[in-house]
Amino acid sequence: MIKTYALRFWNGLASMQVTIVSMILLMALVVLCTLAQTDLGTFGAVKVYMRSFLVWRYFPGLAFPLPIFPGGALVGLVLVFNLSLAGIRRLEANWSKCGLWLAHGGLILLVAGEFSTGAFQVETNMSIENGQTVNWLESPRDFELTVTDVTNPALPQAYGVPESLLAKGKDVPLPGTPLTIRVKKFYPNATLTRLGPGDPPPLATQGVGTGVKVAEAPLAATETEVNMVTAIVEPMAGGHSYGTWLASNGIGAPQSFIHEGHTYTLGVHNRRYYLPYSITLKKFSHDVYPGTQIPKNFSSLVHISDPTRGEERDVLISMNQPLRYDGRAFYQASFGKGDQLSILQVVKNPGWLIPYISCTLITLGLLIHFGITLRRSMKKRHETQQVTA
Amino acid sequence: MNLNRLAKWLPAVLTLAAAIFMMMPPRPVRGMEIEKFCRMPVLEGGRVKPLDSVARNAILLIQERQTIRFENRTLSPDEWILDVMFRPAVADQQPIFSIDDPDVLGLMGMAQSNQRRFSFATLGPHLDEIVKQAQTAMGIEAVKRSRFQSAVVKLYGRLEKYHGLRNSMQLMDTPGLFMELQTLNTPEAAARHQALAELALFKPLAPLAGQDPDAWLSVGTALDRASAGSMHPSLLPLARAGAAYTVGDAASFNAATADLASQVSSVRPEALRRAGSELLFNRVEPFYIGMIFYMLALGGIFFSWLGRREFFQEGAFSFLWGAAIIHTLGLASRIVLQGRPPVTNLYSSAVFVGWGAVILAIVLERMYRRGFATAVGAASGFVSLIIAHHLAMEGDTMEMMRAVLDSNFWLATHVVTITIGYSATFLAGAIAIAFTLRKLFARNRDEATTKVLADMTYGIICFALLFSFVGTVLGGIWADQSWGRFWGWDPKENGALLIVLWNAVILHARWAGYIREKGLMACAIFGNIITSLSWFGVNMLGVGLHSYGFTDAAFMWLFLFIGSQLVLIGLTLLPDSFHVGAKA
Repeated sequence: MIKTYALRFWNGLASMQVTIVSMILLMALVVLCTLAQTDLGTFGAVKVYMRSFLVWRYFPGLAFPLPIFPGGALVGLVLVFNLSLAGIRRLEANWSKCGLWLAHGGLILLVAGEFSTGAFQVETNMSIENGQTVNWLESPRDFELTVTDVTNPALPQAYGVPESLLAKGKDVPLPGTPLTIRVKKFYPNATLTRLGPGDPPPLATQGVGTGVKVAEAPLAATETEVNMVTAIVEPMAGGHSYGTWLASNGIGAPQSFIHEGHTYTLGVHNRRYYLPYSITLKKFSHDVYPGTQIPKNFSSLVHISDPTRGEERDVLISMNQPLRYDGRAFYQASFGKGDQLSILQVVKNPGWLIPYISCTLITLGLLIHFGITLRRSMKKRHETQQVTA
Repeated sequence: MNLNRLAKWLPAVLTLAAAIFMMMPPRPVRGMEIEKFCRMPVLEGGRVKPLDSVARNAILLIQERQTIRFENRTLSPDEWILDVMFRPAVADQQPIFSIDDPDVLGLMGMAQSNQRRFSFATLGPHLDEIVKQAQTAMGIEAVKRSRFQSAVVKLYGRLEKYHGLRNSMQLMDTPGLFMELQTLNTPEAAARHQALAELALFKPLAPLAGQDPDAWLSVGTALDRASAGSMHPSLLPLARAGAAYTVGDAASFNAATADLASQVSSVRPEALRRAGSELLFNRVEPFYIGMIFYMLALGGIFFSWLGRREFFQEGAFSFLWGAAIIHTLGLASRIVLQGRPPVTNLYSSAVFVGWGAVILAIVLERMYRRGFATAVGAASGFVSLIIAHHLAMEGDTMEMMRAVLDSNFWLATHVVTITIGYSATFLAGAIAIAFTLRKLFARNRDEATTKVLADMTYGIICFALLFSFVGTVLGGIWADQSWGRFWGWDPKENGALLIVLWNAVILHARWAGYIREKGLMACAIFGNIITSLSWFGVNMLGVGLHSYGFTDAAFMWLFLFIGSQLVLIGLTLLPDSFHVGAKA
């Protein structure tokens, strides 16, 4: 009994019906995801519809969301299973089917590549002003609590505590320093307002936080909105507490304390990733078409200085011409400050080659298969013409 | 020579003859060779082009058509632009501003009537109010504007264009360029030069030999330099031509124009030559001729169904390939003139989609010889050129590419491949529509032709899957090269993916036997809906990198198109007993 059901399920999973239904579901998801982009932004819509196993929706009167539709990840997974099984069970291993083999194999690889991108791709930014040297990348969406030893202003030492650690609400010792950060409260997003006369007393005892009222807020939905990541923390060193502070990317004012002659600043910033090499912006150029303001090209002439590899060279990064270095690609993305600031998008995606390989396979497969089909049909037509003639 | 052989060649020869006839220069107006003047290259919108192109694009934008009716006479765009520049008092009386919106008319105290076009003189007293309303509306995102707000912004854009033209050669309400040259160093002159430099729509003065080839000058800047002692050699002939045009002195106008041409040719012969080629392209209007002859081809097929089948079928096919040659030459000229691959914006994509469908149809007709491919190809060519014609009203049709899109390699590979994918998907849909109409109306249906139509549709869908897939992938590679995301779920990317998926669904359903002839045809018609949505619909969402050309009117047409396709799908799926040709 169980065996028959298992067999039927197994057969069903390999069937062409599953292929077609999956493709139609995928089409529906693509339409929904596209329409949702006006409200959620691309990133939000993709997260809800494509990079999820189920699409969840809240209903009025219910405290928890209900799954209403299979998500892109689930449909993709079913398609990969279906294709693989169908390949094993249905496709005969003969030359006339080799185009189909290639195309479907390439397709499995393509979907796998999309999973890998979803899991491993890290998108960061690098902002450099003309003449500035930078050796870090910043995440556009992730934040961290940054404690910086600014005793030597020429060589500040920064220590970051990522959001995930802050969310645990525990004591975080900062390696390489005598400091421990006790996290008293963490808000992934908060609204900060001036403390009014009737408000309860503030959680912070030191710094600007003493005059600020903090309220929890829902997470930002679109790309243009930014979360105000806020934490109430108590820095401690050598058994001494330096008071309770409010740190948030919504607060620009510097806050600092001194421990044994070292000055430390506290703040929440975009999460930084330090590189073993540095990049200097020599010149940012912004060309327009003659007599107009229509942008023609943006480019950044940068110098890479990499002591670990012994590389010292200039590179021109421009639209459609990224720099690929150290497993990352640096793209000209934006600019600012009256053309004095260049913003590079830096992407690390270990699977970046997969789509190139898979798409070549699919294209080749389709060409071979349709070529064979066309030849067969021409031959047939020729024969019938001769018969009728 | 028998009639059928004549039908094979004569229509194509006629088509080509029509194109050659269009190449003939127009007759002078009041003895003045105004087209020679409008051959003069100027810098506008980041590109050097003949004044004729500036005129045609401006009048198309303002009036939504190219020829102007005034005082029981038809004016060419060239004559109109000269009036605007040199005889503004006359030009202001010409009814050219196209206004449809009742609320905009109401703003000027007018009720909607048969009159659709208004002169600058009529709008004059209401300019302040129009500007005020437009400025309020421009503070609102384009997608969120009300109908009135969109309409008033549109009118404002048209007035701005007109104003720019009126202040390109000489400042409004001044006697003209001659006066400027005579009063170069008077106290008020500098302010006028400055105003002229700021308001001008285009720059007519070519850089001199040895200067930066992009350093074209506006009349205002040139006057400013002249007052400092450096006189541009074209200024004086320009002033002479202007003065002569104003008073209608044909001999002086022609002489000044000849001087101007020889001056430009001595410093920038290449620019003059290119402007000349573009003028010729403008004059021939290849896509317009194509449109007419595609219609004749379609007419020929209709006649072939009434009788004299072979004669009319041959004639129609001949019209089709004649028009296709003109269409191809037009595309090729655009490629040469622009120095770019054929598809750069929505307008050129429409021209190219039609071209692709026509070429595929010609191949199909050569293979099957039943007239259906001719009919479908001619209809596709005609419809796509009509769509292109309406899209051209959005403004300059050979615009410059913004930085991120400025890549000839990826434009040539990704955009062209994906557009061929659109062509093929539409063609499959068009054949399916022909299949349905034939089933509904044809009395004698032979099974062999039905089989041929099904074969054609199937083959074209295979072709469409291949091209739309490869095109989509190339787009992904371009994105990866440009901003590090092979796939960003941008609406246009998603649209392309939908086409690929749908074609794959059709083929799989056919292979598995879930659909047969009728189902295949219904699915192919549904492909039209998906392609139109991914071609135009996503531009209307107003998000993503590809939203290049939002139009309200297009939305309505898209809506109607989708409705019509759904009806056709319904008709395709009707049981056979409903059809005229059903066997009793």
